[in-house]
Parts: sequence; C-alpha cells; structure tokens
Amino acid sequence: MSSKGPKVSKSKNSGGDKGLRNLVVGMLIFVLVVSAALVITKKKSITAASTPSSVTSADGWGIVFNKTAKPQIDIWEDFQCPVCQRFEAVNSDYINGIIRAGKAKVVFHPMSFIGNESLAAANAAACANDQGKFLEMHTLLYQNQSATENSGKITTDFLTQIGKVAGITNTSYDECVVKGKYVMWTKNIEGDASGKNINSTPTVFVNGKELDRKTQYMDAAAFKKALADAGVK
Amino acid sequence: MNLIRKWSSWATFLARLILGGTLLAAGYLKIGNSYNAQTSVRVYKLLPVGAANFLGLTLPWVEVALGLFLIVGIWVRKVAVGSGVLMAIFVFAIGQAWARKLPINCGCFGNGGVTADGKVHALTYLTEIMRDIGLVLISYYLYRFPHGKLGLDKAPVIEKAQGE
Repeated sequence: MSSKGPKVSKSKNSGGDKGLRNLVVGMLIFVLVVSAALVITKKKSITAASTPSSVTSADGWGIVFNKTAKPQIDIWEDFQCPVCQRFEAVNSDYINGIIRAGKAKVVFHPMSFIGNESLAAANAAACANDQGKFLEMHTLLYQNQSATENSGKITTDFLTQIGKVAGITNTSYDECVVKGKYVMWTKNIEGDASGKNINSTPTVFVNGKELDRKTQYMDAAAFKKALADAGVK
Repeated sequence: MNLIRKWSSWATFLARLILGGTLLAAGYLKIGNSYNAQTSVRVYKLLPVGAANFLGLTLPWVEVALGLFLIVGIWVRKVAVGSGVLMAIFVFAIGQAWARKLPINCGCFGNGGVTADGKVHALTYLTEIMRDIGLVLISYYLYRFPHGKLGLDKAPVIEKAQGE
C-alpha cells in the first residue's frame, strides 16, 4: 500500500495508548471468534425437536401424504407469502384431489423465513396435522392471510379460532399451538431447504426436479400437464 | 490548512461511523436469522450451494468485526480496504443478478427485483448498487485519510514538507 497523502511516520511515544488499544483489539477478536464458533457449530439439524406425525428427515422433515405413492411432489411455501397464496388459489383443489385419490406422494415444507408469524402458522399447521386436519388448516391459513407481513394478525387466539373452523375439537391442538410444540421442527425444515438450494417460495419439485417458475406455477392447465407428464393420472 | 485538517479528521470519524454502522447493522441482523442469511447469499447464484451456505453463516460475523473495528477506530486503513473490497464484490454480485434477472432480497420472494410474472424492476437493483458504490467511496476516503477523531489508532506525526 503506498500512500499519496502527507508523508507520515509512526509515533514513537505510544506507551499507554498502545496497551489500551491491544486490550480492545484482543477482546473484540476473542468475543467475535467465540460467538461465531458457537453459532456456526450449532447449525446441525435438531434431533431432539418434536416432530409432527408422518414427518421424517428423509423427506426433508416435510408433512407427508401418501407415503408410498409415486410420483413425489414437494412444495416449499410460507403461509405469509402472497405468491404462495396465489399458487394455492390456482392449484390447491387439484393438489388436494390428488392427495385424496392417492395419486401421488405430496410433501409440504412450511417455511418461516418471513418472520415469527410464519413460524406460528407453520407450527399450527403441524399441530393440525396431528389431528388429521392439515389440508383444511392449509387452506384456511391462506384464505385468512394478512395483507402485510407480520402484522400481528396471526396470534395464538387466531390460530385456535381457525383450528375450530377447520373442524378440530381436540384441546391438545390448542395446547400444541400455545406451547409452540413444533417450533424447533420448523428450524429443521429451514435447514433442509438451505441444503436443497430452495431460494424462494413457492418452490415445487416433481420427483426431485423443479418445475418452471415462469410457466408452470400460476397456470392451472400447465401445472396439471406437468404432473400428468410425471405420471399423475 | 489547519482548518481543513480539523474538518477532515471529523469527516474521517463520520465516515467510520457510516461505514462501520452499516456493516455492523447488516451483520447483526443476519446473525439473528442465519437461514435467511444463507438464502441471501444463494440467491446470487455465484457459488455452489454448500459454499454459499457456509459464506451465509460466516460473512455476517466478518461484517460485524469490520464494523466494530471501524467504529472503535482500530486498523482503520486495513479495515477500510477490506470493507471496500467487500462492497465492490457486492456491487458485482448485484450487477450480475440484475443482468441475469435473478430476484434478490429475500424479504418476500418474487419481490426483490423480479416479480412473479417475470417483470424486472430496475430500481430495486439500482438503489442497492448505488448504496454499495457510496460505501466503496467512503472506504476509499478512509483508506486515504484513516486518522480521525475518537479512534484508537495512534495518530501519526505529520512531517511538514519544507517550506510549507
């Protein structure tokens, strides 16, 4: 490095200041390195997390329908994402029909990158899954999506309310929502998605291959054709 | 001459606060949400997934370190060079994302520069690029004039040129 500024030389008498300076430098580096090491090494999937029924690490911790059917459809989504809401409006009748008829294995990966209300919604969807009402909850969460993200709409009260609308009568659902039973599980979903290069929601894979976002997501006919080509009768 | 020198040392202090504060805030926010931090590196599609995720985990700490060093005023010149290079890399990354029509900014996807219907919003990329170019310029200023007010770096003795 050559300086074009005024010619400078290091000060000779820098006794006391140098001690303070080295101390600050040393402490800063120490604290940063230790905290970085702690945070980075902690980033493995959390095996102690409670997982909803039907969930395994092999399927990326997603909520699975028709475990043995083929082909496999994977959907990454965030309940607060407006584009996911549109995707749901366009394709959910068809997808739910496939699930009920057992024509494909469908895996839902509810993500929570938009914030805490996504996390709460994903947790509630998993709670509803334990009661056999995931698909109902899925639809209701999108139908009641807030126009702005993390607006304060998705509270435990709101989630237990729409749980009732979904037809859940069991109080263990309410408890699951209030306690945030599956919050750690949502972290595993995020971690798995990171490894699979999922950069946006919705993202749809059919047999491990991503559909074309520009042409096959928001066009019901094109979406149907893509699935038919993959073997959905 | 003395007046200029006086103002310049305050300008250096201000430059350190702006650049350091931006780095510190950027890094701190990402440390709080490491999955989003990883995504924000992956969206530029410059690195293999594993490398991008690793960088997403480590880069925020580097930013925090650079930011703290600038604010406190340690090794200002070296840290300014590092920050400038980092910002220049960001400018390149955003520029190539713009050219390839890749959505950036994972606030909500399909919104960071490219909407779901494929429309490209130049302003999103442009404001990010302008901001980072501004930070590159501030880094360069700190490289030229690293010694200012309220820093822990020992100010140098300035040898006056003959006849000044």
